[in-house]
Amino acid sequence: MFAIGKKEFSSLFQSIMSLLMIALLLVTSYYSAKFSDLLTVGAGLSASEAEDVHTAGLLFLLVGFGQLFVMGLSHDTINRELHERTMRFLVTRTSRISIVLGKYLGIWLFWFVCILISFLIISLFSLKIDLFIFSQTIALVTFQIALAVLLSVLIPKPSYTMFLGVLLGIALPILGVWVAFTNNLWVSWLKFVSPYYYLINDDYSFLVIFGLAGLVLAAALALFNRREC
Amino acid sequence: MNVIETKNLKKSYGATPVIHGIDLTVERGEIFGFLGRNGAGKSTFINMLTGIIRPTSGSFSLLGVEGPNQRLKKHIGVMPDYSSFYNSMNAIKHLKFLSALSGMPVSTSQCKAVLKMVGLEQDLSKKVGKFSFGMKKKLGIAQAIIHEPELIFLDEPTSGMDAESALQIHQLIRDLQASGKTVFMTSHNLFEVEKLCSTIAIMKEGAIVKKGSMEELRSYYRSTLEVKFKHSAIPESEAENLYDWLETAGSDLKTTASSSSLTVGSERKIAEIIRAFTKCQVDVFRVEVNEPSLEEMFLEE
Repeated sequence: MFAIGKKEFSSLFQSIMSLLMIALLLVTSYYSAKFSDLLTVGAGLSASEAEDVHTAGLLFLLVGFGQLFVMGLSHDTINRELHERTMRFLVTRTSRISIVLGKYLGIWLFWFVCILISFLIISLFSLKIDLFIFSQTIALVTFQIALAVLLSVLIPKPSYTMFLGVLLGIALPILGVWVAFTNNLWVSWLKFVSPYYYLINDDYSFLVIFGLAGLVLAAALALFNRREC
Repeated sequence: MNVIETKNLKKSYGATPVIHGIDLTVERGEIFGFLGRNGAGKSTFINMLTGIIRPTSGSFSLLGVEGPNQRLKKHIGVMPDYSSFYNSMNAIKHLKFLSALSGMPVSTSQCKAVLKMVGLEQDLSKKVGKFSFGMKKKLGIAQAIIHEPELIFLDEPTSGMDAESALQIHQLIRDLQASGKTVFMTSHNLFEVEKLCSTIAIMKEGAIVKKGSMEELRSYYRSTLEVKFKHSAIPESEAENLYDWLETAGSDLKTTASSSSLTVGSERKIAEIIRAFTKCQVDVFRVEVNEPSLEEMFLEE
């Protein structure tokens, strides 16, 4: 599991797309934090509002486009190996659970490092790390990665997951935010399976997102166990 | 001890059966050859045993352990068909990564030693994306043996290799057998199977139609032998009697002044014919026996 995780983690740092994404995250964090200082003074924000505004840019990026970024980088984490038949080497050497969890761990660590560095950059301006928002962000990414892994197991062709990944990456945040706030009884129950609902309140309800991610990952594992390589 | 044992192992895709209930045993230390035309089910059978695909029904055990079992993976080496690799990694990185997956990490020097065994010692730092098909085959064999497994599955191990490399791999397979390993291989190269394998199974349309040693297969597929004798001239006084007798000893008799050829039912008959020539004052200089090759048997099947 750890060998696969390590390979996945290092390979994510080697693609141009991921380097661009890291750059985007870091630049957003830097300028978001820098301009929020000016905004705090100019708009006369309170101390607690000023705390939030430092991470606003990064949060907007991750809530709005996080799923798209994760899908963009990892939509083919499993099916690429199935398609290119390198999976045959993996399944003859280790368990399928280790393969899925290893892949997941590698991607999760990549995003953990990226987000941590982004928060460290923000902390240069705000002089503190908001552990609560950091945890909420990690919870969201944890779910988004699980979804990317599930999609990659569910759809055998990488070209299809590329298309679907982009589609879901754009649609899911919009739908997620909508069902979180809508009063429509027919769809409002969906908020309970959407991670965005658990990010609204300033409490520890975001921990539910880890449970949702676990369920999605369990579904991916069950599917992969039935998949022929 | 049987290292491979399958009982009524079946595989179907939907309503289409691909493997029809195979019962097979392979003994420890054998080089077992699996022959069959394209689509006969050879790779499907290997893929079931190695965990790449799941059997529809039936059971199998490897090294005495009921499969599929995670514990087995450390003890088997697999070179799947159509192997492809991570193009951005070099051969050593591949071997280290795959060994780590087995939970048996290897050192760089171990990797170099195995790559030398398969003839890739000149290409240690070359990225696999730049490897030829034959070189990838060699790397496939290297990764299958790097963790010193007891049972090795090789699917078409020398296809796409030049003759020299193929001979090197043949020697490697013999060395593996000499060190007590069991090798289960498929091949389209009938000459290779004939020379290397102690037991051969012929597969047709998802079923094993015959299994045995080369001698057993020969005796099964060909109950007659074509024999050609080169001999001294037959004395005129003996010729009529001798030809009459030869016609009863075999069939398709063809004679010239210094040679006779006929088809006989068994090797014992050859000895009788030599004695008959000698009795008639005819010196036998050469006996040529035309045995069926594996290729002939395979085509017959």
